[in-house]
This record gives sequence, C-alpha cells and structure tokens, in this order.
Amino acid sequence: MSNVIEPAQPASHDDHDGHSGAHPHFLQHHFDTPAQQFEAAKLGMWVFIATEILMFGGLFCAYAIWRGMDPAIFDQAHHFLNKKMGASNTVVLLFSSLTAALAVRSAQRGKRNETTAYLIVTIVCAFAFLVIKYFEYTHKFHLGLLPGHCFGHPWFSGAIQNGQEVGSCLRIHADAPAGSPEWVRAIDESGNLQVLPPRANMFFGIYFCMTGLHAVHVIIGMSILTWVLIKNIKGQFSKEYFTHVDLGALYWHLVDLVWIYLFPLLYLVGKPE
Amino acid sequence: MAAVDMPIVSGHAADAHGDPHAMYLKAKKGWASWVWTLDHKRIGLMYLTMVSLAFLVGGVFALLVRLELFTRGRTIMDAETYNRFFTLHGSVMVFLFIIPSVPAALGNFFLPIMIGAKDVAFPRLNMLSFYIYLLGLTIILTSLVMGAVDTGWTFYTPYSVQTANSVISMTMGVFVLGFSSILTGVNFLVTVHTMRAPGCTWNRMPLFVWGMYATALIQILATPVLAITLLLLATERFFGIGIFDPKLGGDPVLFQHFFWFYSHPAVYIMIVPGMAITSELIATFSRRAIFGHFAIAMSSIALAVLGFLVWGHHLFVAGMSEFATMLFSALTFLVAIPSGVKVFNWTATMYKGSILWASPMLYAMAFIFLFTIGGLTGLFLGTLSVDVHLTDTYFVVAHFHYVMMGGTVIAFLGGLLYWWPKMTGKMHDERKAKIGFWFVFVGFNTVFIPQFIMGSRGMPRRYYDYLPQFQPFHQASTIGSWILAIGLFTTAYTLLEALWRGKKAPRNPWGSAGYEWMTDTPPPLANYHTSPVFTRGPYDYHLATPEELSTGWDEVEAPAQGKK
Amino acid sequence: MNEPNEPPTFQLPEQMSTVAGDIDWLYYFIYWLSVVLFVAIVGTMIYWAIKYRERKGHKAEPTGHNLPLEVAWTVAPIFILAFLFHKGFQGYMDMAIAPANAIEIHVNAKQWAWEFVYPNGGSSAELHVPVHRPVKLVMGSTDVLHSFYVPALRVKRDVVPGMYSSVWFEATHVGHDDIFCAEYCGGRSTGPSGELPYEPSDDPRNPYPPGQATGHWAMHSMSFVETPEDYEKFLKSIGDKCDQYLTQGKPCPADIAAEQGLRLYGAKGCLACHTTTGAPGIGPTWKGIWAKKESTNVGQVTVDENYVRESILDPQAKIVTGFGPVMPTFRGQISDAEIGELTAYIRSLK
Repeated sequence: MSNVIEPAQPASHDDHDGHSGAHPHFLQHHFDTPAQQFEAAKLGMWVFIATEILMFGGLFCAYAIWRGMDPAIFDQAHHFLNKKMGASNTVVLLFSSLTAALAVRSAQRGKRNETTAYLIVTIVCAFAFLVIKYFEYTHKFHLGLLPGHCFGHPWFSGAIQNGQEVGSCLRIHADAPAGSPEWVRAIDESGNLQVLPPRANMFFGIYFCMTGLHAVHVIIGMSILTWVLIKNIKGQFSKEYFTHVDLGALYWHLVDLVWIYLFPLLYLVGKPE
Repeated sequence: MAAVDMPIVSGHAADAHGDPHAMYLKAKKGWASWVWTLDHKRIGLMYLTMVSLAFLVGGVFALLVRLELFTRGRTIMDAETYNRFFTLHGSVMVFLFIIPSVPAALGNFFLPIMIGAKDVAFPRLNMLSFYIYLLGLTIILTSLVMGAVDTGWTFYTPYSVQTANSVISMTMGVFVLGFSSILTGVNFLVTVHTMRAPGCTWNRMPLFVWGMYATALIQILATPVLAITLLLLATERFFGIGIFDPKLGGDPVLFQHFFWFYSHPAVYIMIVPGMAITSELIATFSRRAIFGHFAIAMSSIALAVLGFLVWGHHLFVAGMSEFATMLFSALTFLVAIPSGVKVFNWTATMYKGSILWASPMLYAMAFIFLFTIGGLTGLFLGTLSVDVHLTDTYFVVAHFHYVMMGGTVIAFLGGLLYWWPKMTGKMHDERKAKIGFWFVFVGFNTVFIPQFIMGSRGMPRRYYDYLPQFQPFHQASTIGSWILAIGLFTTAYTLLEALWRGKKAPRNPWGSAGYEWMTDTPPPLANYHTSPVFTRGPYDYHLATPEELSTGWDEVEAPAQGKK
Repeated sequence: MNEPNEPPTFQLPEQMSTVAGDIDWLYYFIYWLSVVLFVAIVGTMIYWAIKYRERKGHKAEPTGHNLPLEVAWTVAPIFILAFLFHKGFQGYMDMAIAPANAIEIHVNAKQWAWEFVYPNGGSSAELHVPVHRPVKLVMGSTDVLHSFYVPALRVKRDVVPGMYSSVWFEATHVGHDDIFCAEYCGGRSTGPSGELPYEPSDDPRNPYPPGQATGHWAMHSMSFVETPEDYEKFLKSIGDKCDQYLTQGKPCPADIAAEQGLRLYGAKGCLACHTTTGAPGIGPTWKGIWAKKESTNVGQVTVDENYVRESILDPQAKIVTGFGPVMPTFRGQISDAEIGELTAYIRSLK
C-alpha cells in the first residue's frame, strides 16, 4: 500500500544565493519553476480579459437590441459623430498597439532602453486618444447631445428652448417629467441642420456609455503601462523575466480591440449622406 | 506519516513570510501579520469571519421581517421599513454572504492543499480580493446609513430608477463586490490549471476542487454582466440614459434580461460549492469513494454551462415571446438532470459503506433531503402553465430558500464542522453540534413548508401585510424562524467554544482518505512539509494505509463516536 | 376536458376558469411524482445510513462501477421531464392566444390601484365578467411594473409601462376571487406628519381602507364572475358615458369607445392626413388596417394597439412603406384614455 504523499525527488537547488539555478530572484515562493509562474500569470491575464469582453458584451448587446428596434435613429444620429476624430483615434490606438507589441519584443531581447522608448510612445498615444475624445465630448455637450434627461439641453451655451431660458441640465433632472417632447435641432458634422426625433437620446445614451466605459479602460491601461514603464526603468526586467511588459501589452491590445469594434458600429454604420 | 527532511523548494522571499514548516497560525504573529498576509489559509479565515458577520446581519433582517409578518397589520414596523428590510435581507445574504461563502472561505483554505500546492496562483490578488470585499461591504453599509434601498434585491426597473432611496450606493457596492468574486474565480481557475502537484491528475482531483473550478468558471463569465447591468442602472438613475425607462424610449424588461443573465448563473455559484462539500462529506463518512466520480465532476461543469442558458425562466410572465418562453422552459428541464445525477450518486455511495453519524454527516444527509425538495419544487416552476400560477408567490420564496439555505447553508455548516479541526486544531463538542443540527433542520422546515402551501394558495411575495386566510401559515413560518435561529446560534457557539475549550484535534479525526487530512492538523504555512506526489486518489480507502486513516482516537477520547 | 367546479384543495384554490383543471392536474402530477422520488431517495438514504452504520466488525466495501445504472438514471428522467415540458407548454399556449370573440376590458395599473375600463367606456375599481364568455384583458401601467394575478382563475401577467400586455380567461362558474398585484411596486407609509396609520379591515371586499399606509400589498381588488344579466346590470351602472347620448334621446352606442374615437378623429386633427374611406391621403387610410400586416421602413408590423400607440407618440419609429416621415408627435397632447378610444375607433373600421 502506498503513501499518498511521497517526498519529491531532490532537485538541484542546493545553492540559496537566490540568483541562479532554480532560484531566480523573481521566482515567487509558491511556484516551483519560472515557467510555471509565467504560465500561470499569462493564463490569469487571458481569463481576466475574458471577463472584460463579457462586460463590454453587455453593452454591445444593448446596442444590438436598440439598433434592431430603432434603426432609423441609428441611421441618422451617426451624422453627429465626428468621423475624422474617430478615425484619428483608431489610427492612434492601432499605432499604440504596434508600439506595445514592439515593447514586448525589446523586453524579450533584454533591451531596456528600447523597451522604455516604446512604452513611452504607447502611453503618449493613449493620452492623445483621450485628448481627441475630450474635444469630441465637449462639442457634443455644446450641441446639447447629452444622454437621457439632458438631451436637448445645450449645457455650455446657455439653454434656450421655445424662447424660454431653461435651467441647467442637472437641475432639470430633478423635476423633469419625461424625455424631450420637442424636436431637437442641431447642426451636424457636415454643417447641415438636422432634426432629430426625441428617441435619438437613446443613441447618444449608448454612445456615451460605450465610449465612456472604453475611455475608463484607456485610463486604466495607461496606468498599468506607466507602472510597467517605471519598473522597466528601475531595471527589474530581463530576458528571462518580462512578464509585466507582456501582460500589460496584452491588456492594451484588448483596449484597442474594443475600440476597433466600437468605431465602425457607432461612427460608420448608417445611411450615407 | 513518513516525513523526510527535505526543505521546501522556495525563493528567498519565503523567509519574509515566515517559516514554511511552522503551523500557519504561529508562523507569524501580531495583527500586522494578518493585515498583510498572503497566506491563503489566513485569507480564508478572514473571509470566514466576514461572511459569518454578514450572515448574522442578513439573518437578523430575516427574523425581523418574519416577526412583522406574525400578525396582520402593523406588528413592529411600518411598510417602508419592511420594504427596506426584505431588500436588505436579500442583498446582504446574496452578495455579502452566500456568493463568497464557500469559495472565499473554505475554497481559499482548502483548494491549494487539496491539489498539493503551497498557495493559490496569485496570493497578492487573493489579498486584494479580500480588501475589495471589505470596500464593497463599506459602500453597502454607507447605503444602509443613507436610507437603504426598498426595491427588492433584484432592483427591477422602472421602480429602482424612480424610488427615492440610495440605489446608486447600494448597486455600486455590489459592483465592487463583483470584482472580489471575479478575482477569486480567476485565481482558482489558474491555480487548478497550473499548480496541481505531480500525481494530481484531473481524474484524481478531489470533487471539492472540481466544484470550485466549475464555480470559478461561472464567476468569471457571469459576474461582468452584473457589473455592466448595475452600471447601466446607475447611469439610468443619475443621467436618465433611458435604456430602461419607457418614457425615454427604453425597455424595463431589458433590465430583467440583463439582471438574470448574471443572477441565474449566480445561483449555481451558490449551489455548486455546496454540492462540492457534500461530495467530500459523503465520501468520508461512508468510508467509500463517491459512486460515479466522473459523473459528479462532469455534472458540476454541466451546471456551469447550462446555467447560462436558462435565465428566461425568471421572465415567464414578464412579457417574452411564446417562442422564447418555450425555449427557456425546455432548457430549464435540461439543467435539472445534472443535479439529479449528483443526488443519485451520493445516495449510491452510501450503499455498503460504513456510515458514521457524526454532525457533518447529519448536515450532508440533510443536504440531500432539503436539496431534493428544493430541486423537485423547481419542476413546478419550470412547467410553464403551472408557473403562471406559482410565480411571484411564496412558492418561489420557499423553493429558493430550500436550495440556497437548505442546500448551500446546510452544506456550509457541515463543511465548517468537518474542517474545523483541520483549520483550528481543536475539536468541537459533537453533542452540542448535533443538538444545533436538529434545531436547524426542524426550524428550517417549519419556516418554509408553510410557505409552499400559502404560495400555491395564492399568497404573493414581498407583501407587508396579507389577507386573513394566510395568517396561520405566516405564524407557523415565524415560529419556525425562532427555532432555526436557536439552532444557528447553538452551532455558532459550538464552533467558537472549541477555540478556547476544545480538545486538541488529532491529524485525522474523521479517518478520511482525503489529501488535506494527510498533512498536519492544522497545516504548516507551506501546507506540506515535503512537496507532495500523489500516488492514489483522495477517496481510495482500499489503497490508503491504516496509518493514513488512523483517527488517533486511541490515545485521545473519541467524541466523534459520541463517547464522552 | 370538461370544466370541473372543484372546491379548493389544501394546496390550490377554487377552479374558476377553463384552464384551471388542466393546470391543477399537471400540478398534482408533479406533486405526486415529487413525493415518490423524494420518498425513494431520502428513504433509501436513511435506510442505508442505518443499515450500514459504522460498528465493530463492519467494513465498507470499495465502490464499484455500474455504467448501465448511471446511464439509466441520467436518461430516464429526460422522458419524464420532456412530458412535463410538453404539457406545460401546451397549457401555456392555450392561455396565450385569446379567442376572437373575447370581450375586451382594459386594465390600468398604477401605484397602488387597479382601474378596469369596460367596452362601454365606463370604469370601475373592480373586475366584473360574465360567466362562460372569454374575456381578454389589455393591460397597461403608467408608472412601474405591476402584475395582474387572480389565483382562482390561474391567470397572472406582468403589466409593463410603455407597452400593452394581455391575458385572457373564460370563467366557469359564478363567484368571486381576489385580485393581487404580484410584482413588487413599492409602498408609502409616511405622510407629511410622520408615519401614516395602518389598520387593515376584515371586509374581504375592502381589506385595505383608503387614507392609510398603502403599497404593493394593498393593491387589491376583486374579480366577480356574474351571470350575463348581472353583468349587463353592472355595465349600466358604470356606463356614465352613455348619459350624453341618453339625454339627447339617442340610444347608447354598443361600442362607446369607438364613438369617442370618432369624435377625436376630428378633434385631434387626424382627419387632415388619414381617411376612413380606403383612399390614401398624406397618411395611410384607417379603413381595414386593423390587424393588417403592413410593411414599413423597418420590416413588417401588425397593426395592433401597440403600433397605434407608438404611431401616435412616436410617429417616426415605423413608417408604412410609401409614406413620408411627416406625422407629428402627439406626446403630451393626448391622454392614454384617448389613445384607447382612437384605437377602438380604428378597430371598428372594417
């Protein structure tokens, strides 16, 4: 009859200097080998990415449902989205994904300075994305294309409706009866005066939710990459150990991928004009 | 047990965490060692403390709700308070207690030990998970202080968008708790995939671990959808996005779809761990390998997968198309099969076993008794025409309490009593434990059987008051709640008493062949003194040595056998 | 199946509708199936727990395998469950589609009372229906979710704001039962000066007197199944809209809602774009469109009460093919009752 527990075979770990053999300094105490640690980290990140996809999935679901119920709104409302800015953002993010991948490659080859450079470019691109987004959002607020209760209330330019001054958007919220009964008239991105039916607020609600949540993830991604950058500058990575760079870039690719789906679905679909 | 002096393979960080061979509670001392701990066992104990407090809070709300329902009219509180209390009972119990309970407390403690690992894959993430739980708890407490919520734990729109209560802080608290659940799931999944010791093949992996693995799958895939649902609800409230508000062009029923897409799989997050514990208890206390081991393992995975396909059965009268209702009814019946398979297999395990009637086994048998009732009453609700009559009545309330409380909580208590010696090194008083059990069992049935009957007779749920014909049922149910409370307090007392008055536990007081019983009781910091290699399965009683199975009661008195 | 007049059993209320018999049969089938399975499983468990209890000289036998047994108890339940599903679905479909000759009664649910509007335009807080006639309830809410539930009729359906939902039944004998709201919809128990009084009464018809704390639980009404004569008497007692005709010496129209709808057709200006003769105008004609399948710019729609409502409140949502997006919205300018009357008028234009 055998014991359930047998002693493991002695491994070649007689040295405890911690920097060579089977005891590299980065090996955490509960893992047996660096390969096991790296595999676990990578699997963990992929699983986490699966959770992010499911979270955005809910929003894509909402998009699909509303598009199915109200395609007319979606056909018209996209004219109010600045395709040029959206396309620039797409290019910026794609480029940043490239530099992130290149950062992983330099880390793999042990080139610390190159890695630093690529990471900085990636972070700058992310920042550029947010700047472009800022301009997009403020332009919408100016036009009154705000979500929900606020739809139709130009926030910055002093709200006037039916010849009467209307209070600020958030004050209205407290006692507003229901959506906007009036038609919303606004100038679209091509300079045409467009008339939007009241239910167009739904499109903008979804637009702000999806791009807003995405922007939050851009900020999270930037923070992660900054942290990785700092660790890299401090020299904590090597050819054998660059897990953080690898996983940070992986997360960044997800952020980029979500935008690749968002851009065409929000900006590009609909009737051309 | 043959111990060979071989130091654990470790990096030099090991010393900062304490001596790997020292007993885990003694390896480091002082409150700071708990606050900054990375040891999965200590994290498990901290979770256990918090979920027990949550259970107490949720239980007090339940007792007060039942007390209000003892008589018609106003008994102890007004209607608005009642609406808040039943909401809080549900929210606290679901999000602060039952979802974390087994995985975060017992799973954290035992999963690494049961696969021969030194810790989970991401110990720091594990600690973060716990602190996120505390953050979520704090936000929910803030919500309570700010007037709480009166929407029911399901937050249905449009009421949850319109009601003048602190819905946003409550839902954001739950949002934060969701991350704790997700990170636990990620940790468990990766641990099981990458850290099983040599000899711990998928086939040999204990069924408790299979259960934790299946639960992790659900936590990872379902919880993000709850996150987005609650975010959308909060933006709806704050900005009036309009996605759920018909006046703004939205659809209130869409919320129900989003909500139940998470919350149905969530109930499998609740029950699969309970089933996982039951497998361990039945095997140990029958001295026999679980019959149909592979089927039990696969049925946990089947529940995880099928659980995602049946959410619509919460919306049979809500306004879905006939095609959708038909589909969901068919799938709901399908998901009954894996649960049935487990019940049959557990019962078959007891055939020609050697059954020890210790308190954990009483709970395991109660699980089979109560979960069978819960599951069978699910058949009524899956049958479309019958569900029209029964949905939104007390019949549903009784059904889900039978599966969640009669299932998971009963299994959780059994697991606590079973593993208490392992975790604490102390034996509890079996006689008190058994008395507590009988009060729990009798009390529980007294609370909920009348609820089945009044439900089928037409009593709707979430009612502050009721018509005279329902009074006898409500009174019986309330009296049952007091009996149940006595049982729960007795059990809690038994466990706590053991900490300062319990006898020192032998390594394997129940004589189990399970892997976790092969190491010290309580375990050393690194779980094993030597890196284990498993050479038999955890239920192979015919392969285990007498020394491995020895309970050590020859030298010590044997409370397990009921002797004093 | 014939329509039994079963008194209440221990578990189930009286059977007052045509579907109750089938539903109850299925309920008891599942019940006895459950009892048998439960006794078998738990009985076996307890029996073996005692028979094989640990004692001196008794050893556990190693677990064997029995694949045929495992397959059997995995596959056999599928047949039983398939039967349950089939019967349940059948019953559900019977309840889903109302017969064409059903009397239509409109239900307005709001926090925290029911309003029933009858074909003659009169309304009441209670539901009266004639026995042996199919009745279709078309239900809407103006605030939050509610659910219409009458246990003895075995009907329940959520009432969702922003859309109409419907349920039908045919009552089998004269009597009455409670109407409950079965979807939590809040409550109020504090007034301007603190907690409101609350004292339920023992009057089964009026258990929750007004002026007190009220809410979801108190959204109670009664459903009366009456003889045709008593039903007519009831209609007369609430049909105040008939007065305007009677005082002019005219008979009370059979479909008073449609008569009101005709008046609105002119008063609201619909006649500017819609004819009732069959000829298209700026907008589609109303003649013969009820229940018609129209093709629109977003696919096919059936012209029912939901589409009419949507077209009045949100005319750009679905535009009939061949017509332009020019209809203005009447949101804020028309009441729900008036929408109902216009709907009745359109329906009457065969």
